[in-house]
Amino acid sequence: MKITLPNNRDMAALFLMLIAMSFWFFADVFGHELLAQIAILAILAMSLDLLVGYTGMVSLGHAAFFGAGAYATAGFATMVDMPMWAVIPMSMICASGLAFCIGIFAVRLVGVFFIMITLAAGEMLHAFAFRSRSFGGDDGLSGVPRLNLETLNINLLDPTQFSLFTLVVAGLVYLLNRSLVESPAGRVLQGIQLNEPRMRALGCRLMHYKLAVFVIAGGLAGLAGSLTAQHNHFVSPELLTWTTSGEVLIIVIVGGIGSLVGPAAGAAVFVILSHYLSGITEYWMLFMGLFFIVVVLSGNEGIYGFLRHIKRTLENVKR
Amino acid sequence: MFLEPTFLIIQLLNGLQLASLLFLLSVGLSVVYGLMNFINLAHGTLYMLGAYIGLTVANTTGSFWMAFVLAPLAVAALGALFHVLLLRHMQNASPLKQVLVTFGLVFVGLDVVRYLWGDFSHSIDGPIIFSGPVMVLGEIYPSYRLFVIGLGLFVLVALYFGLERTRIGAIVRAGVDDQEVAMSLGINIKLVLFIVFCMGCGLAGLAGVVAAPVLSVYPGMDMSILVMTLIVVVVGGPGSLKGAALGALLIGMFETFGQVFIPSLASVTIYAFMALVLLVRPSGLLPVQPK
Repeated sequence: MKITLPNNRDMAALFLMLIAMSFWFFADVFGHELLAQIAILAILAMSLDLLVGYTGMVSLGHAAFFGAGAYATAGFATMVDMPMWAVIPMSMICASGLAFCIGIFAVRLVGVFFIMITLAAGEMLHAFAFRSRSFGGDDGLSGVPRLNLETLNINLLDPTQFSLFTLVVAGLVYLLNRSLVESPAGRVLQGIQLNEPRMRALGCRLMHYKLAVFVIAGGLAGLAGSLTAQHNHFVSPELLTWTTSGEVLIIVIVGGIGSLVGPAAGAAVFVILSHYLSGITEYWMLFMGLFFIVVVLSGNEGIYGFLRHIKRTLENVKR
Repeated sequence: MFLEPTFLIIQLLNGLQLASLLFLLSVGLSVVYGLMNFINLAHGTLYMLGAYIGLTVANTTGSFWMAFVLAPLAVAALGALFHVLLLRHMQNASPLKQVLVTFGLVFVGLDVVRYLWGDFSHSIDGPIIFSGPVMVLGEIYPSYRLFVIGLGLFVLVALYFGLERTRIGAIVRAGVDDQEVAMSLGINIKLVLFIVFCMGCGLAGLAGVVAAPVLSVYPGMDMSILVMTLIVVVVGGPGSLKGAALGALLIGMFETFGQVFIPSLASVTIYAFMALVLLVRPSGLLPVQPK
């Protein structure tokens, strides 16, 4: 793999990580809970950005893989007593497998039909988890342990160390996604987004690429799900609802699609806003929905695009 | 007891009743897709608003029939407002962008309903004429459900004749087939789009107010029905009236009989069926054939 020089996006990611780290130094216990939540949601948003921002596949069923990862973690850890270091990769494999099964049907469809089938697939999984007795039905499963890193002298049951752990994982996911989108395969994905017929004419096996990125994004969403199960110590069908998928899609678009760091920043904004606004009004999703509509109407650039625009304007002023 | 003929007939009627509601919802969505190449994800929200507006009208006037007439009109007016304020200005935007805007409206609609009517579930009393049960092959069956089935059939027949036998129907079909040619013939296609869109919204409102006495009225009723409606559209083939009718019938039956025979996998059956249809016929069972 060719090593590429850091670009603007990497500088922005570094900056975001520095903010998160300085917040980590001063945060209280509750702050660490929020920070872990942000890091997990950022992983989920970055995985969806691979589909929405880089391949042009707008999925409204991403919660399916998030929930599958969470349920697999809960299932393997509480029912089979598998050690946690094996549970996390197994959860990712389960989520990827699910993504493969859904993707085989879904990647043939484009645009609005892709939205519809992913939404339906997500709702199907929700209905299944809601009804299933062995997965606890409406109540979900509880008693999920966290990864044991005591050999490294790290205690993840401590909120401070757990939030740092999730931040590190989020940073690694960023680096992984970045190297993926910078790779030749990533260029093909971006080509599909820009002009699908032309990529087909060039002889690319579009379905293979689309299915591959769908499976990778599913696996990363499964990682986020596994972390959220460990964070909350329990899982419920709530993780699988269309609202989860919808919120992540809103985060990705409001943050700025196709930038990875934008969705991560969007996740931070979303968690912080939801925490403070839900104290003021119960109906804060109303404003989030309106804001989302404004972002979509104003050209799909989001927070990241807005900041880049300001930076360009400032550079022009200097000249 | 599962295979007794009376039991099966009762389930068949329940299936038809669900199919009737799904038809009212999917026909608007499907024909609008055929005309504008755009799916309104807020269609379920319109259904929910129909139910809630019907609830308020029925509670203030004490008459179900007032709600039955006024709620669809109010929802059609909301659809018109949405078209004039937002959709009209996005004619040239990509269909995806239009879909995402309607998706944002789902969140807005949900919180507006929670704000205006609260978080609990309500129900409307059905009309007095249909309050009593009727005997179907020796089994007691609520007559209101038969009314819902009849309404669905009536709308199907009316729309079929409207589309196939009238001038305005011919214009709509021309719009689905080839908009540019239709426009070059001097047809005001924009006006037709607007009217069809409002009618689709009104039918969604009608479905909401008709469903209210059978199903409970609660925030979140929009998404459960929207997903089923989308499946109807995908299975039936978007753009066609017959496709919407066939899809609604199949999904209504699959859902109802699935609940009875395999309750643990009930909702999974319709998705499995959709996957099968998409594998065999990716554009649905009865797509609009380009002539």
